[in-house]
Amino acid sequence: MDVFNQLMAGFATAATPINLLWAFLGCVIGTAVGVLPGIGPAVAVAMLLPITTKVDITASMIFFSGIYYGAMYGGSTTSILLNTPGESGSMVTAMEGNKMAKNGRAGAALATAAIGSFVAGTLATVVVTFGAPFIAEHAVKLGPPEYFLLMVLAFCTVSAVLGKSALRGVAALFVGLAIGLVGLDQISGQVRYTGGVTEFMDGIEIVLIAVGLFAVGEALYFVIYQGKEAETSNTMSRVHMNKLDWKRSWPAWLRGTAIGVPFGTIPAGGSEIPTFLSYATEKKLSKHPEEFGNKGAIEGVAGPEAANNAAITATLIPLLTLGIPTSNTTAILLGAFQNYGIQPGPQLFQTSAALVWALIASMYIGNVMLLILNLPLVGLWVKLLKIPKAHLYAGILIFATVGVYGMRQSAFDLVLLYAIGILGVVMRRFDFPTAPVVVGMILGPLAEAQMRNALSIGEGRWDVFIQRPGSLTLLIIIVAVLTLPALVKWLRRSRI
Amino acid sequence: MSLLGSKKSTESALGAVFCLVGLGFAYGAVDISGDAGYGGVGPNFLPWVVAIALLLCGVGLIWQGLTTGYEERDEPEGATSGDWLGFGWVSAGLLANAALIQSLGFVLSCTLCFVLAVRGFHYSQGKLPARRAMWIKTLALDTFIGLCIAAPVYWMFGQLLGIQLPALTNTGWL
Repeated sequence: MDVFNQLMAGFATAATPINLLWAFLGCVIGTAVGVLPGIGPAVAVAMLLPITTKVDITASMIFFSGIYYGAMYGGSTTSILLNTPGESGSMVTAMEGNKMAKNGRAGAALATAAIGSFVAGTLATVVVTFGAPFIAEHAVKLGPPEYFLLMVLAFCTVSAVLGKSALRGVAALFVGLAIGLVGLDQISGQVRYTGGVTEFMDGIEIVLIAVGLFAVGEALYFVIYQGKEAETSNTMSRVHMNKLDWKRSWPAWLRGTAIGVPFGTIPAGGSEIPTFLSYATEKKLSKHPEEFGNKGAIEGVAGPEAANNAAITATLIPLLTLGIPTSNTTAILLGAFQNYGIQPGPQLFQTSAALVWALIASMYIGNVMLLILNLPLVGLWVKLLKIPKAHLYAGILIFATVGVYGMRQSAFDLVLLYAIGILGVVMRRFDFPTAPVVVGMILGPLAEAQMRNALSIGEGRWDVFIQRPGSLTLLIIIVAVLTLPALVKWLRRSRI
Repeated sequence: MSLLGSKKSTESALGAVFCLVGLGFAYGAVDISGDAGYGGVGPNFLPWVVAIALLLCGVGLIWQGLTTGYEERDEPEGATSGDWLGFGWVSAGLLANAALIQSLGFVLSCTLCFVLAVRGFHYSQGKLPARRAMWIKTLALDTFIGLCIAAPVYWMFGQLLGIQLPALTNTGWL
């Protein structure tokens, strides 16, 4: 009952006109950046981080999370109508949705994506509502050794386990950790890697890295390699699902949600794996397997879209209860909390209960807003796709400048931004994952502090990590996560 | 063949860059105090871990580059060779912005960046008008569009949110 009362209090805060307006604005911007190629939720939130200096924390968190899950709705529109996915989680939607659109069923694909996103987003929010306080209650008992190992677990899954190449993932992670090292050491105040440049004393802003890698990097990549690429788009049809479409979509939405939520919750993150998993499941269970990859099966859009949204929403659980971000955008949301001097973690539910519950309540409201924005109004968003690429990318560069310069008024940061943009181009060209960089740079300093606190508790001895049952369990999980995939591969090979 | 040579050599060259960065971090770590206080490790611990890890990753990337090529690397999207002229224009826009923003102010400096960048994108798309008269017309149009984006952004952030962006005048509008 307690959860219910707090949620109601949250609704009271979230439903004030000004907060509703922020939620709406977040959903609108989120849908727009989801639709537009070359810009995603992580960059949009990063560019808007300067507002944290003026806007009240509740309003800005409602706003930012609106952008975060709003982008997932918009992303599906682009991937169905164009042949390029708007954001990485929409890759699978693009495969099936495109086929449907080519057969004149764009409307049905858009409808099942939007409604599926709504169903999954809302169900996942219910899980957050009940799951997050439960986890927070237990997470209070965790000490620095457990926290450190949880962060190491997040590092391992984000970099080594979930990507294509463990080596490139780990390399990217250490680039992030290296960037995080620049500035003052949190515990001793020792200056590290500033090279005498005063701007580096405060460290490198997360905004700079996110905007550099994703916005400037995308723009530079486009101008260097993709200028000549011809883009084809599919024709719209009426956004409508018939009886059979509904019948085939429902179970797929629910299965997708069931697959997505756990993936978002565990400190592993990423929505690629659950979407692919959901796609494979739907293909296997479908009564019309011949439609997959051929004329386009509606389950192949419904399931992955639901899985995507469910996973994205559920990533807020580790962020809010443990302070551990597992995706690009949640890493930047963590940065936003830090700008207010708040460190998300189990105490958040006690110290900032009003904020957390208003945020959760706003997610229910936001999903309804997004359903309206994306079903009847989808035609408006499609018009965004007509903006010429040259002006779109050049415009993004202006917004990139606002975000980076607005953060601490330094022209030096703009030069750095350009350099990070080039790093982004190289990483994309050589197929390095970017999430480990962002997660590494923001989580690195926190993990280092937890590790050193843990060692202080253990009076300098490393066995503090194996003496406590909690940390020992985590250590075993980490070893398992790192060795199991290789072991499975080896077993399979030796059997053949 | 890309601009920098064969696929294998670029991949191992990138690995070498990782090694160099790792060495750089190791060089920097030497100067960081190792005073551990109550903890077992001091502020120089993570720097050494990062330096050694970067070095090892670099060696791994060189090895993969020289033997099989990077494991499970997707074919890069887009053209096989880059459009460096377009890239030059966009770079010029971004760097000019960094150099001029404090003297020209946000609006004008960003507009300049926008115009230069649009030029670059058009170069790479092969969409630049052939005739000189058209060239000037599109330039004027791009300047106008750039102003229409930069100015409202400046007003919104400056007036509404109170975020300081550099200005040419102290009227708060330009």
